[in-house]
Amino acid sequence: MARLNDDAQWIVLMGFLISFSFFFLALVINQSTVVGQTTAESVIEFPKNDIRDVRHVIGESVNLSDNFDVVKNDITVLSMNRKSSVVWYDNNTGTNKTIEIHYNNGVTAYNETWKLP
Amino acid sequence: MTNDSAVLSIDFLAGFTIFIIAFVWVISLIPGLLIGLQAHTIDYDAVAYRTGVILVEDPGEIAIIEQNIPVPWESFTNNNSVARFGLAVSKDTPNILSEEKVNQFFCTTVFYPIDYKNKTIFGNYHFNISFHDADRNVDRSIGDVLPEGYGYIRRLVKIKGASNATINAINYKNNDQNVTSHTFSILINTPRLYTDVTDPSYQIDPVKDQIMINITNLTSTKSNLTANVNLTNISVMSGNQYDFYGDDGFIPYPSSITLDFQNSSLPHNVTEDISIKFSPKLFQGLYYGIYDPALYQPIFVNLTFDLDGNSTFLNNTWSSPFDYNYDPANVTQPQLRDAVVEVAIW
Amino acid sequence: MVIGDGGQLYTIEGFAAALIMIITAFLVVNATSVYTAGDTHINDMQLEALGSDALKMMDVASNRTDEKTPLQDIIENLDTANRTKFQTMFLNYTNASGSGPRHDIQFNASYTCRNVTVNINSTAPFAIIHSRNLTGSEHTVRATKWVIVDKAVCDSNVKQNRAVLVEVLLWRD
Repeated sequence: MARLNDDAQWIVLMGFLISFSFFFLALVINQSTVVGQTTAESVIEFPKNDIRDVRHVIGESVNLSDNFDVVKNDITVLSMNRKSSVVWYDNNTGTNKTIEIHYNNGVTAYNETWKLP
Repeated sequence: MTNDSAVLSIDFLAGFTIFIIAFVWVISLIPGLLIGLQAHTIDYDAVAYRTGVILVEDPGEIAIIEQNIPVPWESFTNNNSVARFGLAVSKDTPNILSEEKVNQFFCTTVFYPIDYKNKTIFGNYHFNISFHDADRNVDRSIGDVLPEGYGYIRRLVKIKGASNATINAINYKNNDQNVTSHTFSILINTPRLYTDVTDPSYQIDPVKDQIMINITNLTSTKSNLTANVNLTNISVMSGNQYDFYGDDGFIPYPSSITLDFQNSSLPHNVTEDISIKFSPKLFQGLYYGIYDPALYQPIFVNLTFDLDGNSTFLNNTWSSPFDYNYDPANVTQPQLRDAVVEVAIW
Repeated sequence: MVIGDGGQLYTIEGFAAALIMIITAFLVVNATSVYTAGDTHINDMQLEALGSDALKMMDVASNRTDEKTPLQDIIENLDTANRTKFQTMFLNYTNASGSGPRHDIQFNASYTCRNVTVNINSTAPFAIIHSRNLTGSEHTVRATKWVIVDKAVCDSNVKQNRAVLVEVLLWRD
C-alpha cells in the first residue's frame, strides 16, 4: 500500500492550534468576570445582621425574668417560620451562670456561651 | 528528487486560502471576548461595601509598635501609629460612631490619601468618603471628585455627641467676703462612670470623649463688683498632682485644655461666664501606664480664681466637689444623632 | 490525460481546519456571559444593607433615659399617627441623600407575632404601613428586626412582654 500522503497535515494542525489557544483564552476571561458576583452573593448569604439581631434580642429577653419562657417561644417559633433558621437559647442559673445561644440557618451555624458574673 | 520548480498546485492554493480566511475571521472575534473585562464596576461595589463595613462597624486599631500604650487610635498624630481606621465607638456597638474618631478621620492635615488606601480601603483605588450629619447639617468628605461611574454604598449611623455640664455659679457661692482667692473643684469619678452605665453608646468616658464645663452667671456671685477676676490655675489630680498652665508653666499636652474656645494661656480674665473644654488626651496622659481600666482613680479638677479685691465668688471648698455624673440635672448626657456615611470607589 | 488529483488533499485539509476553527469560535463566543447589574446581586446587597441599617437606627434610643426606642413605641401604640410616623422615619432614613445617587425606594412594612390560644405556635402577620401597593412584579429584598414590645399581640389579650419580628420589603422603582 502506498504511503498515505500527509503533506498537508500542517494546515489542520495549525487550525487545531488556533482553536485550543482560543479556548484557553476564553476560559481565563470567563473566570475573571465572576469574582464580583460571588462577593455580593456571599455577603447576602452570610447572616451577619440576623445573628447580631438575635444576640441583641436574647440579651434583652434574659432581663425579663417573668416572661422569659413566653418570649423564648416567640423567638424560636418566629425564627423557624419566618427566617427559616433554628434558634435555641438557655439561661442556666446553676453554679455556673451562663447563657447559651445556638443559631443555624442551614448554611451558617453560630454558637455562643456568655458567662455571667 | 525534490520538486523545486516553484509551481504550487491550485488545489493547495484553494485549501490554504480557505484556511487563511477562516483564521482571520476567528481572530477578529477576540476583541469581542475582551469586552467583558472592561466591566470593572463589579469589583468597585464590593470594595465599597467592605470599606463601609470597616469604617462603620469597626473601632479601628493602633499599630503593633504602639500597643504598649492603650489609647485609642485617634489620639495619635503620627500616621504610622494607626494600623486600621474605624469610626465605631467600640466593637460591641456597630453603627454608633465616636465624634473624636470622625473628626480625626476627616482631618486632612494628619493623614495622606495613601494612608486611607492602606488602612481602610486596602487596595489602590480612587475613593471619596463623605459624612453627613443630619441634625447639624454638616458635610465632610475626603478623596477625589466623583466621576461618572463608581461603586457605592451608603450606611446609616448614629453619632455619639459629647457630654457637657452647665453650672449656674449662683448655686456655688461662698459667703466669705474677706478672701481674694477662690477654688472651684469638679469630680470626674471615672470608676463610677464606668460601672454606673456599661453601654458604650451612652457612657461618659473621659479617656475617649471630650468633656466641656460651662460656668455661667459669675458676676452674680461677686459681692465686690469692681473686683477683677482671673483664672490663674487649673490643677488636675488623680493620685499624683499635675498643674497645667500654672505657675511652673508645665504644659505636657498642648491644646488638651481649651478656655473659651480659644487656646488661651493662664492667667485668663473672666467676666460673666467661662467655658473649659478638656480633650481626652488630658485624661489619657493622667492614666498613662495603667492598662486595666478597673484601676483608674477618680479625677479632681480644681479651678483657682484670683481677685484683686476681697469679694465672695464661685467656691465650693466649703461643700463638696461638683460631681460630673449621669444625673441629667447636673450634666447634659451624651446624645445620639443621625448621620450618613457614603463610600464611593472607582 | 490523467487528472492530477493529488492536490485535493490540500483543499480538504484546508476546509477541515477552517471548519474546526469556526466551530470553536462559535462555541466560545456563544459561551461568554454578559453580567448585568441585576445578575450580580449587587443592588440587592446594597438595598439589604440600607434596609437593615434603617431598621437598626429606628430601634436605637437617642437618650439613655428614654424608656422605649422609637420602633418599640410605634409597635406598642399602632394608631394612624404612629403608622405615618413609621413611614416618615423609614423613608427619611432610606432616601436621605448625601452626595450619592438619588434613591426611589418603596417599602411594605408588617410585623409577625406568635399565636398562643388558637392554632398554638402558628404565626400571623399584621400590617404596619406601605408606601405603595405591591403589584407582584417588583424585585424585593427583605430586612427584618426583632423587637420586644409590651403589648397584647396576636390572639392573646394579656398585656405582657412579647417578641415580634418587624419585616420590611424594599424595592426600587
